[in-house]
Amino acid sequence: MLSVQGNSLRLRLIAMAALWCTVALVVAWVVLSALFADQVRRGFDDRLAALLEGVVAASEWEEQEDASQTPSQTPSLRRPLPDPRFQQPLSGWYWQISDDSGPLLRSRSLWDGTLPKVDAQDRKDGRIFQDIVGPNGLPLRMAVQRLTLTGVKGAILFQLAGDSTASKADITRFDQLLAIALVVLGLGLIAAMVLQVQIGLRPLAQIGRSLAAIRAGRAEQLQGAFPSEIQPLADEIDTLLGHQAAVINRARGHAGDLAHALKTPLAVLGNEAAEVEGALGAQVRRQVVEMRRQVDRHMARARTAAAAGVLGARCEVRPVVDELARVLGRLHQDPGVEITIEGSVSEGGANVAFAGEREDLQEMLGNLMDNACQWAGGSVRIQISVRDGGLVIAVDDNGPGLPPERRAEVLARGGRLDESKPGSGLGLTIVADMAELYQGALGLGKSDLGGLSVRLTLPLAP
Amino acid sequence: MRLLVLEDDQDLARQLRAALTDAGYAVDVAHDGEEGHFLGDTEPYDAVILDLGLPTMDGITILQQWRRDGRDMPVLILTARDRWSDKVSGIDAGADDYLAKPFHVEEMLARIRALLRRAAGHASNEIQCGPLRLDIAASKVTLAGQNVSLTALEFRLLSYLMHHQGKVISRTELVEHLYEQDFDKDSNTIEVFVGRLRRKTQASLIETVRGLGYRLVVPSDDGRDDG
Repeated sequence: MLSVQGNSLRLRLIAMAALWCTVALVVAWVVLSALFADQVRRGFDDRLAALLEGVVAASEWEEQEDASQTPSQTPSLRRPLPDPRFQQPLSGWYWQISDDSGPLLRSRSLWDGTLPKVDAQDRKDGRIFQDIVGPNGLPLRMAVQRLTLTGVKGAILFQLAGDSTASKADITRFDQLLAIALVVLGLGLIAAMVLQVQIGLRPLAQIGRSLAAIRAGRAEQLQGAFPSEIQPLADEIDTLLGHQAAVINRARGHAGDLAHALKTPLAVLGNEAAEVEGALGAQVRRQVVEMRRQVDRHMARARTAAAAGVLGARCEVRPVVDELARVLGRLHQDPGVEITIEGSVSEGGANVAFAGEREDLQEMLGNLMDNACQWAGGSVRIQISVRDGGLVIAVDDNGPGLPPERRAEVLARGGRLDESKPGSGLGLTIVADMAELYQGALGLGKSDLGGLSVRLTLPLAP
Repeated sequence: MRLLVLEDDQDLARQLRAALTDAGYAVDVAHDGEEGHFLGDTEPYDAVILDLGLPTMDGITILQQWRRDGRDMPVLILTARDRWSDKVSGIDAGADDYLAKPFHVEEMLARIRALLRRAAGHASNEIQCGPLRLDIAASKVTLAGQNVSLTALEFRLLSYLMHHQGKVISRTELVEHLYEQDFDKDSNTIEVFVGRLRRKTQASLIETVRGLGYRLVVPSDDGRDDG
């Protein structure tokens, strides 16, 4: 799974590797190609030189008187050169013997052409090589040697040219083969580089997967041993996670301790005031109720605020509902309540889970289900479903229900369902507060069972 | 009916004792966990009111140990811990009901009445035995529609017999369930109270089973012969 994004270590490493690899291979191609071309040329030149030696060795000179009274020597070959190409006209292989006045003797292959006159002055008795264009337009390589022979007047120029297209083709073919080989090598190197980067960066991918697992609530710590370069990072993340959990627990603990510490004195105060007749008693009773509601509400908020949106919180819904149904069945024995639970399994087969703390889900569902049980005429229904990527839990009862105009009032700040029922009456308000902290919502409606239908929408855990 | 209250807050314990005594129960109070655990383990209480945050021994632990040792009296947890996680663990530890502080005394009394009634196997708040009718909620006894005036101990005795009508109940059991722990128990006084009850109701209702104890007889013509 090679995923390369704009700003990634993988991309940087691979791009750098590809760059230097390409540069190195291009340089290698240039150098090797030049070396080979030089080698081929040198070999060809050696061959020309050897043939030229043959021409020199086979040449014979005769004195001749011509019309101008000046004695001159006419060269001839004692024996023909073994290579038949010097006999075929325009074969691409030629030789020529000339003196300062012009050509004295030419190979048959030259037909009526001549090899260009060369100024080999600067290299006395030396041998030079030249690229020339032959009589029929072919590129030729020519070896030239200027010799002063005993008994021969003046310097004699020996020239021998050969067709160099074959060796040029050799060089081109070599260049092509070399290029192909180097490109293949380059691709191989880059592939090896990608593999190396993949293997080298695998621990990072593992950290990514572990973090995803933590976010999804399937793990609490990064798992596995990491390379020494990454281990400090992993340790640091684990420490942070542990610290976070500790902070949440402390915050919860503090909020809980404060609430517990206040509640017993409130109970004493309220019970004492119940005995007191008149305005004072009534006032204290009212204030005690108000204090309890404030404590309940703010404790729920404090605890939830500490936990909402925490990395990795996850809790399966069905076990919580089952547990609460069991407990409520015990708490509401007279009159008994029948609690039916529907749904819980998503299309994927995994149990539907809430992206949050188990205690908070328990608190929200506990309040909703308890409320439903108190008001129900014997039956309560819980439906767990997934809608639009969110978790929806509907709690329905067959009790008297709530007229539409009172629904908003109940959810509004501290509205009470009924003063006659026990408890602070804040159940629905607290649930609405908590749901809001989890970016969820609480909605009231009419149930098809006849009573109130409460729909709690919460974030779904992946 | 004899109750145990485990509550470490002195003021609240005093209020509970007063309210429960007024309602006609014999009440023992323990302020710390170990003492409460011992009392619940050794004395035959009809119900227990249990606070969870107790010194020396936690309420949940006490409850779990009682249940493990086969003590099956109804237990009402009365606590400031009102998270549902606490309720779940309380019920799972073996509690029969759960009431969060602060609470109304009437609410607490209603829960206790319901627990006692359920423990004795009665479905409603009124227990009837022939012409006798016990209104648990109002702590009132009527005989053929007429109010019967009873002292606290007479009421406890009759109430206990009516909750367990048809069964033979020994004097010791009656003493254990009617008197508080530090009361000077004398089973002979039971005879005196039974005599008074026979006079105030119908003599034939309370039968003496020789050598065993007493039994509240269910009249057969009532059609409810479940003795």
